[in-house]
Amino acid sequence: MTAPVSIQHVDHWFGTYQALTDIEMEIAAGEYITLLGPSGCGKTTLLSVLGGFIAPSVGRVLIGGADMTHVPPAKRPTTTMFQDYALFPHMTLRDNVGFGLRMGGMGRRARHAKAEEMLGLVGLADAANKRPHELSGGQRQRVALARALAVSPDVLLLDEPLGALDLKLRRAMQDELKRIQRAVGTTFVHVTHDQEEAMAIADRIVVMNAGQIEDQGPPARIYQKPASLFAAGFMGEMNRIPAKASAHGIETPFGQLPLAAPGAGPLTLCLRPEAIGTGAGALFIGPATVRDAAFFGTHCRAHLSPEAAPDLTLIAHLPAASCPAEGETITLAADPAAASVFEAA
Amino acid sequence: MRVLPWIYLTAAFVFIYLPVGALVLFSFQGGGLPVPPFDGPSLRWYADILGDEDLVAALLHSLAVAGGSSAVACTLGFLAAYGLARHVMPGSALVRGLLIAPLTVSYLIVGLGLLMVLQRLGLPLSLMTAGIGHVVINLPLCFAIIYASMGAQQQNAERAARDLGAREWQVVTLVTVPMLMPALLAAFFLSVTLSWDEFIISFLLTRFDVTLPVEIWSLLRSGLSPRLNAIGSLVFLVSIVAVFLAELLIFRKRP
Repeated sequence: MTAPVSIQHVDHWFGTYQALTDIEMEIAAGEYITLLGPSGCGKTTLLSVLGGFIAPSVGRVLIGGADMTHVPPAKRPTTTMFQDYALFPHMTLRDNVGFGLRMGGMGRRARHAKAEEMLGLVGLADAANKRPHELSGGQRQRVALARALAVSPDVLLLDEPLGALDLKLRRAMQDELKRIQRAVGTTFVHVTHDQEEAMAIADRIVVMNAGQIEDQGPPARIYQKPASLFAAGFMGEMNRIPAKASAHGIETPFGQLPLAAPGAGPLTLCLRPEAIGTGAGALFIGPATVRDAAFFGTHCRAHLSPEAAPDLTLIAHLPAASCPAEGETITLAADPAAASVFEAA
Repeated sequence: MRVLPWIYLTAAFVFIYLPVGALVLFSFQGGGLPVPPFDGPSLRWYADILGDEDLVAALLHSLAVAGGSSAVACTLGFLAAYGLARHVMPGSALVRGLLIAPLTVSYLIVGLGLLMVLQRLGLPLSLMTAGIGHVVINLPLCFAIIYASMGAQQQNAERAARDLGAREWQVVTLVTVPMLMPALLAAFFLSVTLSWDEFIISFLLTRFDVTLPVEIWSLLRSGLSPRLNAIGSLVFLVSIVAVFLAELLIFRKRP
């Protein structure tokens, strides 16, 4: 089952600390959303508001069109997959997964059949009689997912579900989560601080900072054309070049650029490392000295000091085949279409 | 080189177990005095005490008081611990302190206090009143053990259960109590062993039906006899069985 979610003008205070500020968000049925942000940005608070563990100070939460703002977790069409999985250690996996169905009054036989079907969905069909302590971290995570999905929620809330897994397993589980979400069609809201994880699985990323939504949209758009300086920095490595508004656009240490200035004060021009290259480009950076360069397999990451602005250190991802040597001088250029301009923070 | 530690170890265990060993050994004495030389083994004194209706009655009374008071103390301790661990309320530190404070009060004072209250209320002394006294002394202990083992792990599991539609009584019976079973059993068996050989409160708060320690005390007044050794051995056996059961039930399932 699946349902749309509407978050309308939500504010939340913990005492005098404002954890959420004017959150407005529409989530379509069957969408995979990630809430991305640093710790303390309010993403987990927002998830708790959706799950019913926190009633917001102001605003409404609608799930499937019904007002759920003050409905307790047990009565909501949502389930939460907790960060530490919160499996019941004294029950078999079958009883863990069947717990929600048992609470719903489903008979033993039907419930066991459904629990085993869900365990099959997450690839643990032959472990139904085991207990959680016999499993690895990745397997526990799958059981928690099966348990949350067994009650056919309209919306599944995932609180940093992959945080406790090692990198390789985390990448494998991302694909698995995406596959399962496509198979069941449930709306997933997934909290993470890992922007690679967010890009790997989300249909739409919501970038949060200090209790506010900084940007939301498809991963590629947020990466390439972020709506704020914070979103630009959080989505990956970024070169920040000081600039200011001029008569024909903006003025940078590398010359005039025909880009619209968002304000009259000091500006910051943001340029991704992979947008800088040794080829042609309308933004001519000019000769730069290689301070160091490291080989990363898919690219060569170099720190460079441009002659036009010696105080600035640029990071560039150059083709792996042409890794420059330390001390070498190379000529750089970039495509201004790949740049974004913000008011300086 | 490693002789000294062994000597120390042996001496320590001899110090702890020699009195118990001597008591058990002379319970099998053939003659009328529990002193060397040992002239057994004989089961004469066991037959004697098991044929004594008063003694067997006292033993059964003790078991009933220990089991009953421990079950009540554990239940109340669990409810108090659950309430204090899961709900924020004003003055909870004070309530916690008041629950644990009786641990520091001597049994004599607890017994005398209860005796005065019971007499003022006009309630007759019985095994029930002794059991109430044992609840008073064991409740702080049960509360402390159970409260200490209520961690974030149970709390998260309880939250998950609620999220999956469990009502409050289902959360407690299906998640909290099973997860706390080791602590509940530890509290129960500790409480049983303390109640089993508690003397002062039982002495003050019983009248016609008495518990085993009170019966032993009245036997002691007629002098040493291997009967007492035999009774002591049985008391010791019951305590060992309680400890053994606790070990088996609490630690068997540990991964």
